[in-house]
Amino acid sequence: MSHVPTHVPFELSGAELRDAVVQYATAPIYHDNLDWLNHDNPYRRQLRPQVLPHLDYDKVPGRENILDYTSLAVQRLLTSIYEADLVFFPKSGLNGREEDFRAFYNPGNRALGERIRPALERYAFGFLDDEVETSGKWTAESLDAYLDSLDTSGGEEPSLSERAIRNSSDPRRAARMWLVQFAPDFLSEASPMMRNVLGYYGPAQSEWFKVVIDEYGYGVHDTKHSTLFERTLESVGLESDLHRYWQYYLNSSLLLNNYFHYLGKNHELFFRYVGALYYTESSLVDFCRRADRLLRDVFGETVDTTYFTEHVHIDQHHGRMAREKIIKPLVEAHGEGIIPEIVRGIEEYRVLLDVSDFDFSEQIAWMDAQPELKKLHDPVLRGMRQGKVDAPVAHLVEPRGELSNTHCHEGDELCHIVSGTMRFESGLGSSLTLRAGEGVVIKRNRLHGANIESDECVYEIHSVGDYRKCLS
Amino acid sequence: MTFPASGRDNCVVVAGTPYVYATVGGRSFVLRARCTHRGGPLHLADMAEDGVRLVCPWHARKTSVTRLRAEIPAVRVGDQVTAVFPDRPPVRGWPAPPTACPGVTLEHRPLSPALSRRHQAAT
Repeated sequence: MSHVPTHVPFELSGAELRDAVVQYATAPIYHDNLDWLNHDNPYRRQLRPQVLPHLDYDKVPGRENILDYTSLAVQRLLTSIYEADLVFFPKSGLNGREEDFRAFYNPGNRALGERIRPALERYAFGFLDDEVETSGKWTAESLDAYLDSLDTSGGEEPSLSERAIRNSSDPRRAARMWLVQFAPDFLSEASPMMRNVLGYYGPAQSEWFKVVIDEYGYGVHDTKHSTLFERTLESVGLESDLHRYWQYYLNSSLLLNNYFHYLGKNHELFFRYVGALYYTESSLVDFCRRADRLLRDVFGETVDTTYFTEHVHIDQHHGRMAREKIIKPLVEAHGEGIIPEIVRGIEEYRVLLDVSDFDFSEQIAWMDAQPELKKLHDPVLRGMRQGKVDAPVAHLVEPRGELSNTHCHEGDELCHIVSGTMRFESGLGSSLTLRAGEGVVIKRNRLHGANIESDECVYEIHSVGDYRKCLS
Repeated sequence: MTFPASGRDNCVVVAGTPYVYATVGGRSFVLRARCTHRGGPLHLADMAEDGVRLVCPWHARKTSVTRLRAEIPAVRVGDQVTAVFPDRPPVRGWPAPPTACPGVTLEHRPLSPALSRRHQAAT
């Protein structure tokens, strides 16, 4: 046999990885926007490439740091990379956007994305390796007992997010922010699932396809689930073009959606996807029932909740189909060795739901607290000047119209305006106007941005770490 | 059955047989904390020199970690363990003591350094 050179597995890390991330994200379609919204252009996604050279993509964060900025940056990157497999067109047609269309789908962009994807997935989902661990010899019987013990109903108990909306000082604003979080998933609904329709793997493949058929509305566009969700958005005054609200997506909303792309893109995780599919289909019934009631309570009878009521009906079937027609035959066909992966998919998805529920409810609390956080500026600044904390400071001078695209920080910060006027954005429909001498406390991990509304604005960002230390 | 992987209620007693969440070689599992020889406290076991068996502190009876690992299917999420216990205790070996409580109770049992996740992480 002739000499075969040693195989070197693909791996990218350190400076090489960082450079590759920057190379991908510096394409013009990923640059900052001059507006808070995208306007019917599914190819434009703000990745803040100017910040990416300064991030460390190698050190996988634990659950306690999963909402830090690097994670948000990575989730935005992954969303763009995964979605290059999906077909999107502007609602009003390509006219004038041909260049962006080609830039998003061209092989060069796709190749650059694929090159960094494994490392970014490790960063984004690596914490789940610590969070979820299976052990023991699982059998079909023990899997049955475990599935029976799962509380998929959720019942009448509202989640943290649902409570945050009901208790918000502005429930309509909170509910719109909530619906926007679903847009990355629901407008291209079941696309990650489609990744497992391809191939040749026996009867389970056909069962999987049946679930997809329901999601796609049996080929009747009016009943396609994404169409139903568009109507929900439009009925509460939101637009339904893809990623219009990109800058308002929370880290964990992208994390949840990307998780299914991650499982669907990496077929060695197929059985994990089976578990996550079972849990999502089983648990959605009660969630959708509560969502329907919540939206009608908040918006009145004008809101179109068909998206949610349809799921109350169809997901009762999907949960059963996933268990009886997909999980059970797969275990019979491939052996009990696949069960730990199925269990892991269920539990990983549950962890992500918890992360997301916490993240959203915190964001609503942060939006509601803006007037109070503005009032805190004076005592926090005073405490800082008294030396209660040693906070690094950044001095910034920006011209009118300079838009700091949304982001978040690893610790609390104090924004202090020296001169000029800034609009400080803390969520969809949530902003403050800050003038000279004013400012606001920016809480750790909370999504925010800023726009300059005077000819020039001079301001300072003090990285206080924990603002409460300035008050003690 | 769901119970904490560590702390006050780290031991679940099912029909008289105690189980704890143990870690060996960086991989964790639900460990039956009773030796089949004479009922010794396996949660206080040391690792044998061969590195693949636990040594019961009572009579130095060695038990394969691989075998123990396979006994109870479980999944840990954060610090909570969900395990599927057998309806009946193992028929072989030293019987569980008669118990006034045939169901499930939680209690605390310390773990030997050889089985403690925290200890292994620190070293």
